[in-house]
Amino acid sequence: MSAGTAHRQNSRLREWIFFYILSIIAALVLSAILVEATGGDWRPVMNALLDGSLRRPGRWGETLGTAAPMLLVALGTIISSKAGLINIGQEGQLFVGAAFATYFGFLLGGPGPLNVVLILIFGAVGGAAWAGVAALLKFWRNVPEVLSTLLLVTVGGQLVAYGLSQPWLLLAPLADRGNRNQVSTQLADDNRLPRPEIFGNEVPSAVFIAIALAAVVSVLLARTTWGFRLRMLGRNPRAAQRSGVGQTRYGAAALLLSGAFAGVAGAAMLAGGGFAFGNYQLVPGFSANIGWTGLLVALVAREKALVAIPVAFVFASLRTGSSFVGATGVEGRITDVIQGFLVLALLVPPAVMFLRERQRARAAATERV
Amino acid sequence: MVSGSTDLPGAGSSMESAPAVDLRNITKRFGAVTACDQIDLALTRGRIHGILGENGAGKSTLMKILIGLVLPDEGSITIDGEATQIHSPLAAAELGIGMVHQHFSLVDPLTVWENVALGDAGRLDPNAIRNRIGNIADQYGLRIEPDARVGDLTAGLRQRVEIIKCLRRDPSIVIFDEPTSVLTPEESVQLFASLRQVVADEGRAVVLVSHKLDEVLHATDDITIMRQGKVVDRLLAADADAPTLARGMVGRDVSLRSERAALGVLAVDDPPVDHVLAQPDGTPVLEILGATAHAPDGRAVLNNFSLKLHAGEIVGIAGVEGNGQRELGDLLSSLISLDAGSVVVDGHKITPGRSGAMARAGVGVIPEDRHDSGIVLDMSLAENLILVDQSAVAPKGFIDHGALEAHANAMIEQFDIQCSGPHAPMWSLSGGNQQRVVLARELSQQPKVLVAAQPTRGLDVGAIEYMSDRLRAAADDGVAVLLISSELEEILDMSHRIVVMHAGRLVGEMPRADVDLERLGLMMGGATV
Amino acid sequence: MGGFFQAFWDIASSNSTYLNGALFAAFLAFAATGEWVAERAGTLNISVEGMLLAGAFTSAVGYNITESMILALFCGVLGGLIIAGVQAEMSHRLTADQFVVGLTLNILVLGLAGFLDNEIQPATKLASSFDVPLLSDLPLIGQALFGQRWPFYVLYPLIPFTWWLVYRTRWGLELRSVGENPQSADVSGIDVNKRRRQSIYYAGFTSGLGGWFLIFGQIGLFEDSVIGGRGFIAIAAVIFGGWTLRGTLAGCIIFAGALSFRLSVQGLGYEVNSELLQSLPFIVTLLGMAIFAHRVRAPAALAQPFVRGLK
Repeated sequence: MSAGTAHRQNSRLREWIFFYILSIIAALVLSAILVEATGGDWRPVMNALLDGSLRRPGRWGETLGTAAPMLLVALGTIISSKAGLINIGQEGQLFVGAAFATYFGFLLGGPGPLNVVLILIFGAVGGAAWAGVAALLKFWRNVPEVLSTLLLVTVGGQLVAYGLSQPWLLLAPLADRGNRNQVSTQLADDNRLPRPEIFGNEVPSAVFIAIALAAVVSVLLARTTWGFRLRMLGRNPRAAQRSGVGQTRYGAAALLLSGAFAGVAGAAMLAGGGFAFGNYQLVPGFSANIGWTGLLVALVAREKALVAIPVAFVFASLRTGSSFVGATGVEGRITDVIQGFLVLALLVPPAVMFLRERQRARAAATERV
Repeated sequence: MVSGSTDLPGAGSSMESAPAVDLRNITKRFGAVTACDQIDLALTRGRIHGILGENGAGKSTLMKILIGLVLPDEGSITIDGEATQIHSPLAAAELGIGMVHQHFSLVDPLTVWENVALGDAGRLDPNAIRNRIGNIADQYGLRIEPDARVGDLTAGLRQRVEIIKCLRRDPSIVIFDEPTSVLTPEESVQLFASLRQVVADEGRAVVLVSHKLDEVLHATDDITIMRQGKVVDRLLAADADAPTLARGMVGRDVSLRSERAALGVLAVDDPPVDHVLAQPDGTPVLEILGATAHAPDGRAVLNNFSLKLHAGEIVGIAGVEGNGQRELGDLLSSLISLDAGSVVVDGHKITPGRSGAMARAGVGVIPEDRHDSGIVLDMSLAENLILVDQSAVAPKGFIDHGALEAHANAMIEQFDIQCSGPHAPMWSLSGGNQQRVVLARELSQQPKVLVAAQPTRGLDVGAIEYMSDRLRAAADDGVAVLLISSELEEILDMSHRIVVMHAGRLVGEMPRADVDLERLGLMMGGATV
Repeated sequence: MGGFFQAFWDIASSNSTYLNGALFAAFLAFAATGEWVAERAGTLNISVEGMLLAGAFTSAVGYNITESMILALFCGVLGGLIIAGVQAEMSHRLTADQFVVGLTLNILVLGLAGFLDNEIQPATKLASSFDVPLLSDLPLIGQALFGQRWPFYVLYPLIPFTWWLVYRTRWGLELRSVGENPQSADVSGIDVNKRRRQSIYYAGFTSGLGGWFLIFGQIGLFEDSVIGGRGFIAIAAVIFGGWTLRGTLAGCIIFAGALSFRLSVQGLGYEVNSELLQSLPFIVTLLGMAIFAHRVRAPAALAQPFVRGLK
């Protein structure tokens, strides 16, 4: 590489960093203005966020535990979007996955550690099945997956809630319900994912699973023939069709896999426990927007599995921090707003850079009509 | 070499009246490339001005400047004596400049009148537009049904719509951009006749942009030759002859047949010796039987089409664009399935439309539009070389990046691909080099059949020659080559055997040695003779 | 089985089914009309959900401040337009992916509405009813179509106006050409991305109206869950309708039927699990698309960004 191109790449990198920092600041300033405008004070909010996510004892373990399912969802999203498919129904796939995990976890009821693995696998199966409905609708009936996955979020949520009202499905026996009327039986102690203690923080082991899978997905997409074909399909479906990468086969596989990741995330939330995800049992609203957030993680990470790791951690920090914000007198949902502004702002730099790259490319190409 | 100084013969001063358009010193750079380098051009009312040059010479950019799609970096534009600037197609229309585009100006699902109205300003008045279309139709003999859907029309009629769309604003300056690429030879003659009428009756200035030497020589009054962004010669058509024009276009004497074909010279009478192939032996390598396929709107795009192709022969598919050639290419790329008929490659029946089936069976394709199914712009050059088959660089399902790079480097060298390296993104390559990547990939698969659809479109003469040589070499090595081209010159130059397609049907067939141009032209128009 | 048919007949003959059905259909139609315009120009605009919610919220706040439903209408439109502005500028000026932008906007608006609703807690009420003389006396449909609260009637001029705009004006012609073949439109001298932005603004306008209608014409109070995914049903109606306005409205009516059926079943005291009933409209929508989506032809350039010189 010549000194000239190295220099140019350097300055391009600086441009990237500059744009990104600028957008993050803009998003934060906008959020701060909103807090001030509604009569709050942004400084204590900031402090509460940091306390809740990192500084207070035990909190960063909690944040890691929250990041794990977000990361899992994001990994699935990355796989489907590499194949050019827009799966935005992870929230539903996650919930259905968790429901499958709950149902079969109890139905089979095998010995502890083995059952944990089964729970995760059935979570994957459930998520994949729910994404499979969208795949079926797309490749058989030509229904855009953007819309079917979205609509299936609501349907999935309602169906699981229905299951939670039926004793023959998910509803716990009367004795185990406590004072709630839509709740599943709690997972037995030996059916839970371990939470080892590291530096004074309980860390749900789902984190390690998620990070390992991030590495696997990264290699899968970048180094394997399958990943190569998937990328080909996403970038040019007609070239892929000619080259033996059928949209139905590879596209459906990508969609199912992406649902499976969301399902595993649901199962991991169920078996992993923690403050955020309840008490090893399924309840209505169990998915708790983790599917949506995981989707945003994937968008911000721009289809890069390893980048998704830190991004998931940041978004999880907003989540765990938000529970501390209420004490400052500002509504805790401000973190949803911060998150939204942040994602929106982070969309700008790549778009601007894309336009600039294209201008450069067009400038470099000779005239050809 | 002559750069665009103003005192050349024919630079406007010698014409009868003041120029309708006077471009001075027009320069346009795209990064390091100067597409137009200090161009002077004067157009006169009542005359047809031919702008001749090979692909990439800067003709299109110059015309885009005139039509307001591209802004020049330097230079002045004077219309009827008034200095002006043209910022948009709408502004150009207001100045009386209209263009008949080669591609991309009609919207299929809209009706004729809606298309004609597109790009105007002011209230939309369907009846006024219908009347105007009727008037133009009467005046120039361009009959058309204003309420027909443009998508249902043939290529020739679509061009008619395009011409009406341009004339409807009553432009005083009309630009025709490569107008004959979608016409049969006969239709071309008609077009030039009505062109004459437009010029003679109403004192319009007409520009004919073309890379076909013959066409410019016979249909124009004044000729400007461009090469590599510069004007290299200006002359009167009456004083010009083919060798002079050819020399101007390429910058050296032209003697080879294939070069002449690339410049658009029809050479009918002297089939080269090597084009008389010994009677092909025995079993065909590719056999298409009764292929029938329909477009979503029910129109038959392939209609009981049958063809046999033998090892070592080059068969040219002649025909006007839009008569099923694209679908034939798609069929052999596994992109469409058939409603009836079958495809047999080397004795094996191949399921049409099953992804990758044709490629696996040994059918290589250089597609008509390489961006459509030939390459993946957002992948690297090296990756584009293994789209079809990854087994060589990924023995166990894992891509070996060392092997990938080595493979790419070998191809870059063997096919002389200009690029910044094996990891260069595909979009950073020029069109000619992208085409070489496709060629490299398809030939390295050692295909039994090679489909080359419009393989030289948009390439300059050097690249055309390279491509033609490669295709001939492939045929010599025993590959059955199917050449699909709308350029008759190319078909005549390359093929051993010529078949003609019309409306998705095979209307005729003849060995190269027996070509009769008139008959060929009639067949392209759909006549069975 | 007899019980089932009896129940079905009860529901189909009950006035409230039609009354509610018309309200749901009107709400969907406000959104779907604008969405249809945006899609004809080439944007599959999933932020319509966010536009509706923003419109509902800003109109509620507007009423809270001004105590005028007319001014609240303008506030609602403004809310829809703001979201449309972000969607339009980001996806058709900066060329960010339209789905990514739309999705993010939906989540952001939900967060904003939830946050600000708690901070402001706007008080609203329903508009007064207005019976159109004579027409409202028609059997079954009379009350449903002509006996509603007055915001309902805003829809009546909106639909023919939109039709006229798209099929009879130059703007509409250019809009359609941009959704079918942006390259040709560009060469013909049309600013492709500008038309696309404008079409999204139109979707923001009608969705803002839709949000306003929901608050003052149908439910009377704001919560952050008022839209509840029905924006997506409006998108489905456009696809179901094969990208024609007539078909889109038919889709709105069918999907609204499912929404209304749900209410009536409960209202008439039939015992059906409420969760299953809740998901019914969405299942009907999915089935509707499964049956019709492969028969219709989408605008050729739907969901494809346009950058000049980039095919």
